[in-house]
Amino acid sequence: MAFQILLNMLIAVIWMLLKNNFSPVEFMLGYIVGLVLLFFLRRFLKFDFYFRRIYALFKLIILFSYKLIMSNYDVIKIILSPKLNIEPGIIAVPTKLKTDWEVTLLANLISLTPGTLSMYFSEDGRTIFIHSIHVPDKEAAIKEIHDSFEKAILEVTN
Amino acid sequence: MIEIIISILLLIGGGLTFIGSIGILRFPDVYGRLHAATKSATLGVISIMFATFFYFWFIHDIFVGKLLLTILFVFLTAPVAAFMVSKAAYNTGIKMSDKNSQDDLAIAMREHEKKNKQEKSNSDV
Amino acid sequence: MLYTVSHITLVLMSLSIAICLYRVFIGPTIADRIVALDTTGINLIGFIGIIMILQDTVAYSEAILVIAILAFIGTIAFSKFLEGGVVIDRNHH
Repeated sequence: MAFQILLNMLIAVIWMLLKNNFSPVEFMLGYIVGLVLLFFLRRFLKFDFYFRRIYALFKLIILFSYKLIMSNYDVIKIILSPKLNIEPGIIAVPTKLKTDWEVTLLANLISLTPGTLSMYFSEDGRTIFIHSIHVPDKEAAIKEIHDSFEKAILEVTN
Repeated sequence: MIEIIISILLLIGGGLTFIGSIGILRFPDVYGRLHAATKSATLGVISIMFATFFYFWFIHDIFVGKLLLTILFVFLTAPVAAFMVSKAAYNTGIKMSDKNSQDDLAIAMREHEKKNKQEKSNSDV
Repeated sequence: MLYTVSHITLVLMSLSIAICLYRVFIGPTIADRIVALDTTGINLIGFIGIIMILQDTVAYSEAILVIAILAFIGTIAFSKFLEGGVVIDRNHH
């Protein structure tokens, strides 16, 4: 991946030299041209196109913003309801993620979406214990985390 | 036009912060209060910081990067702080308000302790 | 219009800081007090942000950063102290 970014920057510099114009705008243009070139040449040079990961990261950010707003609305509804009708609980969520920083990212994202709060890790660090403010159905809560955040993170890192 | 956007952001921020504080007052236990504190309040403050940033950028033409840095910093530290406080609270034995609710962590801890005790007795023999 | 809205938001922020301080006083456990103090720090950031708009100055941007850092460090130190009785753990694992 580092090699591809370097190649892309090299193409951008060559583009600037050819245009004889050394402004940041020209660099961006050259970078885009390099992206297109790499995209079409990915089959001959036998590598995985790195921009796919950036696209997946972008999708993760969009998903996160959406979740942040939706679940904030839910928590506000709970806080402002005249009678606090909640069933808090701690649920164990096993995760398929491998490296430590992926698990850290997942735990932080879980903490930042209201209604769930990661509060403990198991010994091997692959099970996150989550305090949830309203758990009518445990399996559904686990499945929701697996389907949304874990899948998006896997797309970024794989 | 830009003033309207800034005003809306400010009102959203103030409202969210206020609701977060009400949540701190109303929730029955520490963990519930953490939910209200670290999320509603954080999002509210981030919204206010965005309003300030847009105000200086569009009305005074000053790009204040430090405000963006503050937003990033608050976003990064809020979950870590919540994690530390909830872990400390659980380790010092503060119970949840509802005794009958789901608690997978207690089960896991009991099993872990049992395993430790077994290993200890095995090594003693 | 921006002036009025800023003042309304300022009142909301002051109310929420007051509520947090009330929780600091009555909080049944120490953890409650830590949470309320942390939220007070976070609210102060927003408070100063609005004051920046009202006074038309960017001079407070450093103050905001420092308060954010201090609130975070304070929370971490408090919770480490609550958990183990020490702030800096020298023989961790």
